[in-house]
Amino acid sequence: MAGSPAISGWLLDVDERPDGRGVRMWIRRPDGSTRVDPVEFACPFYVEVPADERAEVMRRLADDGRAASVEPVVRRLRLESSRPVRALAVTPRAAPDRLPLARSIDALGGYFRYPLYNVDRPLVSEFYRARRLYPFAPLTGPAESAVALEPAGRIDYRPIPLRVVELAVRAGDGPRGASVPVDAPIREIRLGDERMDGPEEPLLRALAERLAREDPDLLLTDGGDGDDLPRLYARARAHGLGPDRFHLGRIPGGERPFRPARSFASYGRIYHRPAAYRVPGRFHVDRTTSFLYDDVGLAGLIDAARLSRLPFETVARQSPGTVFTALEIEAALDAGAAVPWKKYRPEGFRTADHLVRADRGGVIFQPPVGLHDAVDEFDFVSLFPHLMVRHNLSSESLGCRCCPASPHVAPGLGYRFCARRPGLLPRTLAPLIARRRALRRSARRTDRSPEARSRDRGRAKMLKWILVTAFGYQGYRNARFGRIEVHEAINAFARQLLADVARAAARAGYRVLHGIVDSLWLSVDPAASPPDPERWASELGAAVDLPLGYEGRYRWIAFLPSARTGLGVPNRFFGRYASGEYKIRGIGSRRHDTPDYLRHVEREILELFARAPDAARVLAERPRALARADLFAAELRSGGVDPHRLLIAHRFGRTPNAASPFTDAVAAARQRPEAPDVRYVVADRTSRSWRRRVRVLGAEPIEGPYDVGVYLGLLARTVATLLAPLGVTEAELAERWAIAPARRPGRPGPRPPIRPVIRPWSL
Amino acid sequence: MGRTAPTYRQALEARMSRWEEFARLLTTPEEKAAFETLRTGARRYVAPATHVGSPDLLETILLSVLLDLARRLRELEGRPPER
Repeated sequence: MAGSPAISGWLLDVDERPDGRGVRMWIRRPDGSTRVDPVEFACPFYVEVPADERAEVMRRLADDGRAASVEPVVRRLRLESSRPVRALAVTPRAAPDRLPLARSIDALGGYFRYPLYNVDRPLVSEFYRARRLYPFAPLTGPAESAVALEPAGRIDYRPIPLRVVELAVRAGDGPRGASVPVDAPIREIRLGDERMDGPEEPLLRALAERLAREDPDLLLTDGGDGDDLPRLYARARAHGLGPDRFHLGRIPGGERPFRPARSFASYGRIYHRPAAYRVPGRFHVDRTTSFLYDDVGLAGLIDAARLSRLPFETVARQSPGTVFTALEIEAALDAGAAVPWKKYRPEGFRTADHLVRADRGGVIFQPPVGLHDAVDEFDFVSLFPHLMVRHNLSSESLGCRCCPASPHVAPGLGYRFCARRPGLLPRTLAPLIARRRALRRSARRTDRSPEARSRDRGRAKMLKWILVTAFGYQGYRNARFGRIEVHEAINAFARQLLADVARAAARAGYRVLHGIVDSLWLSVDPAASPPDPERWASELGAAVDLPLGYEGRYRWIAFLPSARTGLGVPNRFFGRYASGEYKIRGIGSRRHDTPDYLRHVEREILELFARAPDAARVLAERPRALARADLFAAELRSGGVDPHRLLIAHRFGRTPNAASPFTDAVAAARQRPEAPDVRYVVADRTSRSWRRRVRVLGAEPIEGPYDVGVYLGLLARTVATLLAPLGVTEAELAERWAIAPARRPGRPGPRPPIRPVIRPWSL
Repeated sequence: MGRTAPTYRQALEARMSRWEEFARLLTTPEEKAAFETLRTGARRYVAPATHVGSPDLLETILLSVLLDLARRLRELEGRPPER
């Protein structure tokens, strides 16, 4: 880069100073060394106080030792109005004073009269903004006045040279994975490729020395938060090695968690999150608690940190939703607005009729059960984000006064969105959509190195996650700029779109077989000349001004029935693309509770259809498929299947109690009362003893006889689900293998078989 | 999560369990099978029924059942499906 100023380093990280009166800049110098610069920094929050109360509030704050300064300002605060307002800018003395001070002011205003802004802005993010910096920025100039060499949004930046090293600790004498008491001595430490063992105290000293010498930027662990890090510090303490003599960071500290452990419920499941440990001056990523690291890689996380001005560790530890929220807040601040501390806008009153109309999701076309020839699949790319951008869907653009004739009206709901000023949400999303597109393109460019392409894939994936959460957060009651009407409007536009596209497909000679929200499975009518799918998709995409992609043609596809109603259910199918690839959704292989053996059965049977070029050949495989299933039945009956392959997983939604019906899972829970989930083999379902009924992994050896009848029943269900489109029923298999019908009380009896016909066209 | 109104699917299944009480006193296999036809018909058109978003649940269920019967009738009359 000729003419550009010399790079003086990279901004590795910025964290809060322990005294709360500023931040520390961690800078990677070009020679590979790292320096830390403490910087004084404070930033105000804002409070709107009515004119006649302002003097009183200022007097009170002057007496309050926690405020360094209080100044009257005139500036824009609200997102929905660009008009400047009179407000007070309150700068706390130190970061820990910020929240208590804001609470006191809120209390003065009776918790509703004084709207507060920017209260929970992290000091670090404000510092980045104030200095026009961002995480991992390449810098030029001296530290105290360093400037970024390129904008944060640049796409083809040079990757920052981070030193990543894996850290693993083995303690106690048990096998790996067994739980070890926290005071068990450490036997072995692995740091990168280096394995260290020996007496514990020298071992710990050796680790500290090695860390200081190799000086990694990122410690990667598997369970560091829950296990390795607290254990290392506890053992060091036991040997009298204080924080000054044993630490993992670049400076002492970090032996206490910065966030305590907690349990929480989400979507009906209970999770435990261990305490989180930071390593001052380095990053710590625990792969077991970082949902994103394995998925998007270092490059994806770094990209998100750069764009959102969130610290790298926050990005790695939190969900993509946190990143989305930060991006939205950055966009609001860029526009000159501030971030309301509380959401001062409750949901409006609406009639029950309106709710029935508005509170709905996307369109789902129920697929006809059976085998189908020649099916084309189309998907809209990032449909919801594109809809938000296209129709300017945003909380503050809803019901604007400036365009009563706006064309952006949510179908059936009447919500009208501004046609003149782009809203916050579209302004946040449009650059992300463009960036994702560019990265996906560059990830495909074969003239680039495999590493660079894989980095771009990770970055594109990270953006995908952020775009996905953008929709869900509109309906979230705590989302700062979210509004439920926007959520409803997105669904309404998507429903109309899919209905329109289905009609267009019918006109083009397609029939709609199946559709879910943003995807369509269309069968090709051999009589009507089918359109060229690529061309059709791009023409239709252009007509509706949204990117419609062609996923490919299935040689054949089988839609599977619901076990209860026998009708087709969304997202339960298997099919084979013309490319030879299988696509499988909703069958046992993709569920977590399926025994390994049954997954194997599914794979083997699907393998039989691998060469079938069309639905008729799939149907012709019926005798062979049944013969294969017979072999599995015989193997099960012989008692020769490894019980480890028959483990059934069960996760408890609630703790079983005395009133719970006596099921296999309850019998298993009796043997491992503390475990939130169990894996067990059914030994004898008829036994009334919970010990004899099931054998539970972790409680006793798994080896031994299993209940053949139960597993034959499961086999019959698995095979019947898979072969339903070929006309095979569970009852037929039960008879074939002479097993008692697994009729459960209160359920409808055996269902008539599905006629084994290939239905290329008619329903 | 956080829905105020039940989905059409949920509302339909709630109504179907009420219909179950009705079916309990049907005695002949023919009647039982015919009743099953009605229920299948109601469940067959969940997608368009959801799309209507009508606050009148029964209207939508009856429309689905009637459509299913009309479709079967046309089949019996030997009329080809219209394009």
